[in-house]
Amino acid sequence: MKFSRRTKVGAAVACAASFALIATGCSSAGTGTSAGASPVELTVTTFGTMGMDALYAQYEASHPGITIKANNIDTGANAQTDAFTKIAAGSGLSDVLAVEEGWLGAIQNVSSQFTDLKAYGADSVKDRWVSWKVAQATDKDGRIIGYGTDIGPEGICYNSKAFAAAGLPTDRAAVATLLGGSGSTWDKYFAVGEQYQKATGKAWFDQSGFIWNSMVNQLPEGYYTKDGKLNVENNADLKSAWTKLAAANAAGLSAKQTQWDWNKGTSFTDGTFATFMCPGWMLGVVQGQVKTAGGDAVGATAGWDFADVFPGGAANWGGSFLTVPTQSKHPKEAAELATWLTDAKQEVAEFQTAGAFPSVTAAQTDPALAAGTGISAFFNDAPLASILSKRADGVKAQYKGPDDSTIQEKVFGPSTISLDQGVSGDKAWSDAMTLFNQLIVNK
Amino acid sequence: MQKATMTLTREPELSSPPRPDRTGRKSALTYKHRLSRLDVKLSPYLYISPFFVLFGVVGLFPLVYTFVVSLNKWNLLSGPGEWVGFDNYAAELNDPLFWNSLFNTMSIFLLSSIPQLIAATFIAAVLDQNLRAKTFWRMSVLIPYVVTPVAVALIFSNMFSEQNGMINHLLSFVGVDPVMWKTDVFPSHIAIASMVNWRWTGYNALILLAAMQSVPRDIHESAALDGAGFFRRFFSITLPSIRPTMIFVIITATIGGLQIFTEPRLYDATTPTPGGAHRQFQTTVLYLWEMAFQRQNFGKASAVAFILFIIIVAFGVLNFLISQRIATTDSRTDVKSAKRVLRRKAAADREEALAASTAGLPVDSPPSSTLPSGAKEPRS
Repeated sequence: MKFSRRTKVGAAVACAASFALIATGCSSAGTGTSAGASPVELTVTTFGTMGMDALYAQYEASHPGITIKANNIDTGANAQTDAFTKIAAGSGLSDVLAVEEGWLGAIQNVSSQFTDLKAYGADSVKDRWVSWKVAQATDKDGRIIGYGTDIGPEGICYNSKAFAAAGLPTDRAAVATLLGGSGSTWDKYFAVGEQYQKATGKAWFDQSGFIWNSMVNQLPEGYYTKDGKLNVENNADLKSAWTKLAAANAAGLSAKQTQWDWNKGTSFTDGTFATFMCPGWMLGVVQGQVKTAGGDAVGATAGWDFADVFPGGAANWGGSFLTVPTQSKHPKEAAELATWLTDAKQEVAEFQTAGAFPSVTAAQTDPALAAGTGISAFFNDAPLASILSKRADGVKAQYKGPDDSTIQEKVFGPSTISLDQGVSGDKAWSDAMTLFNQLIVNK
Repeated sequence: MQKATMTLTREPELSSPPRPDRTGRKSALTYKHRLSRLDVKLSPYLYISPFFVLFGVVGLFPLVYTFVVSLNKWNLLSGPGEWVGFDNYAAELNDPLFWNSLFNTMSIFLLSSIPQLIAATFIAAVLDQNLRAKTFWRMSVLIPYVVTPVAVALIFSNMFSEQNGMINHLLSFVGVDPVMWKTDVFPSHIAIASMVNWRWTGYNALILLAAMQSVPRDIHESAALDGAGFFRRFFSITLPSIRPTMIFVIITATIGGLQIFTEPRLYDATTPTPGGAHRQFQTTVLYLWEMAFQRQNFGKASAVAFILFIIIVAFGVLNFLISQRIATTDSRTDVKSAKRVLRRKAAADREEALAASTAGLPVDSPPSSTLPSGAKEPRS
């Protein structure tokens, strides 16, 4: 083993040395010729399904001399690790970097490492977004460090075949009414779930983690108070939501799935669970999972549909921003690309390919958004755009502190899995509080 | 007499006449002489310096830097904070999550190293026989080593899947309930250890095979002539002869085992905490990686890295001491057994003589009595 490490180090050193030679060679050549309109290569790093892939070629065609090298990371958590590592290293970040709302708080702590887009015309375009999206991307010195891509208004994805099997209505308007319509609550949602579970013996939702995410995101104040103080222990809202979730688990409503795996997508096709938390960007994930499992990703044969209802009222989960790190050698071109990618027309296209609901107001009301798309066809031709617009109504931006994603993933993550595995709500909560003190309070 | 005269005659010859001559030669050769002296004295260091320069840059500097970082409050993104001395170390040594990671590391290490070394020795012994298509078999055991650990981890992760995994499927045929390979602590350690074993057994087997082949064949042959069977020869000749190589393999396995990262990281990549939802198989390196790049606490992560470094050094020293002890007891027993053999032989000779005298045959006593003392002499 020792040998292999040594040879690896040796190889790395050799690579680094040769790389350094090439790099210096490149940079010296670059400075010599970059005075003219030399070709610029812009790197873009996104994650999940953001629906931008087709747009790059379009931009390259309309902007001669610009080539785009895109890199997409599978999940937001992996993209976060990737970005943090490169910020710490001081190099390696893309010219345009997608940042998720959950870890934007940590990024805001080092906002000086991101270009103030006001230098590249942010003031003239900032009115295109819903105002809370711009507020999230503005740092404490008033610099705008990111342009909003999507927001995550949540609706309920449900499997109409599973509903039919349980004798429940399958029509999406009727499902919305069944779950309580505009006055829907978590109690109502879980009550219908118990009804379903009794009728079929099957689970109601996939796993507890996403339910918990939704419950927390919908509160006016989540893990932090509005003025940035930790707000976890003795937070009655959190505790009561936890109690409800624990009771639902005790009633057997959870399918105990592994999130982001779902038995390699199979659980979406074999009726393992009947409902699923769906922010706009998750619609593309559902389609992708069905495709992975070998299901029909185009037609509606998988049985998935999308209802205009959400327990506990309007909720937003996730949503991203495009930033330009100061590491970028071409901040001007990168900012231009970010401006273009978040323009109304492009955000409509992103919605049509991936279901990422636009944060730009003009795009939200664009008639093209309502037109049927590939992803609508998958959801039984549901009018996704108009449903999501309604779901976005009343969403309030929640303050996300620097450790928000750590609390979400590492403090409550293990405990929501415990709930799935049958641990009592009280035990799981106290485990979470122990972790909270270990990881956050006494860090 | 001869010696004395020689020194007497040499003495004046050496001392008086050549002195001026020598100094003259010295001044004539000064530059070249100095250059060649310099060449002899300095060049070897120059030749080996690239290693030390590289080591300084990529080995020593990071080591020292890590130590400095570990003495600070240091956020991954915002950089150094205040100087806290050894507080990070104290905090880590009181952190149950750190001890959990150390327990997991040790458990996986023991589960992987012990079966792996036994299996590798056995495979090497088999390959050491006169097989047909020798090279084919030898290359075959090395194939798992060629596969990158990432691929190994992905394949094994699928095989050990709890819901539709191959292993649980096979177990169901023999009536065993599905094992929670990723949820339970011990099964997950076994699964990860099996990845390590799969990848490293063949590699270690080849190293041990090379050692076995350097054991002189005539020892084996003479033992065989004396009636020693395969197992007797294996335990009494092969194993003692390959002991230095064995120690090398054990030390490298220890270092690798304590630094295990890729396998537990990718074994269940879907969980929010690396190394299992409840850190069931989070090893120390994984813990320090999470601390640095996810929890963003660079200071504490560096402290963990340094503690791990000390642990590995301690293991190395322990291995060294044990191996030295083995070596010394080894030579002691050699001497002892040799004496024992000679004593037995002497006793037997005496008995023989006694029996011969009683039978009234001519006694050949002098040689039998001198044999033990004569044989002993060169040894003492």
